[in-house]
Amino acid sequence: MIKFILAALTIGAVAGYVNNNVATLVASSWVTDYLFNASLFMLLFVMGLSFGIDKEAVAKLRSKGFRILIVPVAVAFGSIVGGLVGGLILRLDIYASMAVTAGYGWYTLTGPLMQQILGTEWGAMGFAVNFFRELLTIITVSLLVKVDKYAPIASGGATTMDTTLPVIMRYCGSDVLVTAFSSGFALSMIAPFTVVAMASLK
Amino acid sequence: MVNFAVLVLPLIAGLFLGYLLRERKKVNLAKVTLAIILILIFSLGFSIGSNNELLGAIPNVGLSALLMALLAIGFSVLFVALIRRRMKI
Repeated sequence: MIKFILAALTIGAVAGYVNNNVATLVASSWVTDYLFNASLFMLLFVMGLSFGIDKEAVAKLRSKGFRILIVPVAVAFGSIVGGLVGGLILRLDIYASMAVTAGYGWYTLTGPLMQQILGTEWGAMGFAVNFFRELLTIITVSLLVKVDKYAPIASGGATTMDTTLPVIMRYCGSDVLVTAFSSGFALSMIAPFTVVAMASLK
Repeated sequence: MVNFAVLVLPLIAGLFLGYLLRERKKVNLAKVTLAIILILIFSLGFSIGSNNELLGAIPNVGLSALLMALLAIGFSVLFVALIRRRMKI
């Protein structure tokens, strides 16, 4: 998955650069506005569809009790506080910084959303921060699990329902499946809302 | 708030349609999702690549982004560890 994403990003960046500086084949706005928005809307629609269609997602939540939903709440607060502290340290706009970390590692969503609301520079930031979050979670999972059993789940944020789930289960044991999945599920559901809400405060 | 409504609409429409289709046979959306994500990421890359000002600023964005990611992870781990111990989950 990450391979394809990196390839698409690189090819896109090279194509954009060539189109802008070497030979113009299409108007940049055709890709950056129409193609971009169309695919963003389709992605949001398909994500909604796959959540809505998944009977097990809700059943998994019920089986463990809604008490474990405190985990994604803690992750959401932790992420946004992290963004606030980061914004203060780096002297960036704090709302935009909080919006970026309120994507909980879902870079394919946060990058485009930030791009749409606050422009290309914050779009790149939204992409990079959340991309690093997923990458760091995968790289450091064996260290994180020594800090706390749920630390990899906290670190993975919204990605723990798909991309980082296999890695987390390998290191934390299969009993964390429900917690990891439901945390990732809940965070994925609120990520579009929290990113847009924080960004619109700017 | 216009952005909020526009972006949440397809999400809610998808959720609703997914709920209606629930009893039908299994639908595998993984490939469609990946294809859409790749188109989206391509256009994201395209916007970055066609923005010369941004390209100059990327070395800074990279380091800031790394710091932000580490802080988001750090505080998330801290809060979850504290709450887990307190609530004994």
